[in-house]
Amino acid sequence: MKVSEFMSSPVHTVSSDRSVQYVSDRMNELKVGSLAVSDYGTTIGIVTSRDLRSSHPNRIVADAMTPNPISVSTEQFAWDALATMERHCIERLLVTRENQVVGIVTRETLQIKLNRIVDPLTGLYRAPYIQQIGEHFLNRGTSFQLLFIDLNNFGEINKMYGHPVGDDILIEYSNRLRAITTGQDYVCRYAGDEFVVITCREDNEAKRLIEALSEPVVIQTAKISAAVGVASDYAVPDFYARTFRELISRASLLSTSLKQNSLV
Amino acid sequence: MQDKINYFRKATLSMKISEFEVPPMQDLLIIGKKAPIGPEAVKRMAQALSPEQFTIIKLEHAKIEAVLIRNSLLQMLDEHLLIQIILEEADRLISDNMVLRSELKISLSVQREVELQ
Repeated sequence: MKVSEFMSSPVHTVSSDRSVQYVSDRMNELKVGSLAVSDYGTTIGIVTSRDLRSSHPNRIVADAMTPNPISVSTEQFAWDALATMERHCIERLLVTRENQVVGIVTRETLQIKLNRIVDPLTGLYRAPYIQQIGEHFLNRGTSFQLLFIDLNNFGEINKMYGHPVGDDILIEYSNRLRAITTGQDYVCRYAGDEFVVITCREDNEAKRLIEALSEPVVIQTAKISAAVGVASDYAVPDFYARTFRELISRASLLSTSLKQNSLV
Repeated sequence: MQDKINYFRKATLSMKISEFEVPPMQDLLIIGKKAPIGPEAVKRMAQALSPEQFTIIKLEHAKIEAVLIRNSLLQMLDEHLLIQIILEEADRLISDNMVLRSELKISLSVQREVELQ
């Protein structure tokens, strides 16, 4: 799920002194929606079909393009690139490798691809997302904690209130997860009533997050609590030598034992 | 056959020659947002024809995208004051697809009283 998998390449370029009419013809010819604007080997902008629609055909590209284009590296995750586009309200990003523009990626392409790993009920990403992030951090030796969150007695809630109410509770719980997590956290609905958070927070901050997640909350008159199993580099021996699957297993077993202890 | 004998074609060429004024711009160009020539092109044109003599100022305005202005004017008057006057006057005339050119001369009149010895 790296940007390089979704970018279109090679990148077609145009110099900033060409006319908008020329660029329009060139885009039609190449059947592309944008061109990188390059003067003397340096990329200075990007010109899109939307830019062309709002510019007089006699203008030069320098007056129609979006200057100082935002770029991402080929190694960035697709969801980070999508978040960048959403933050800047843009439809395209230049993709670079070692400061060279090697491709263009569009918001539409990323959205279509990423929708496949989004949980339609909660809008959270599903397990493949967290797995890629976890494996990425393990490969790089980045410090993180994996929190496996299992809602307590969710089956009984479904039986007591019905599955539609259960779904509403999952949606609201997911919203709560979004609200209490930050840019240092990665959240997914792992399965059913189980969620996984990978956090890169400092230890104290991570503890506060775990405490907040363990606190019962009332959603639609139902009291919801969760057992949070944690796998972290200081608690798990040979943390970085383990597979992500092993860490998930460990955290989920911890969460199960917490659940059982709370019943004793 | 008779028609072909009487048939002939002529072209008339006319030519007017006058001195090319350097610079060809006047003191100001006011560039509309949808004008056929944009600020960057105007800037490049001015730089090619009259290097270091003009400055392009981009604006946040409903109809006007930028103003090209002679540097000497900016040295005589405050930029904000000058732009405010230009916008007030041009706003009544310009549409967003036009480029207006303008002469702008600043003259200073001074009257002083001095004591006679």
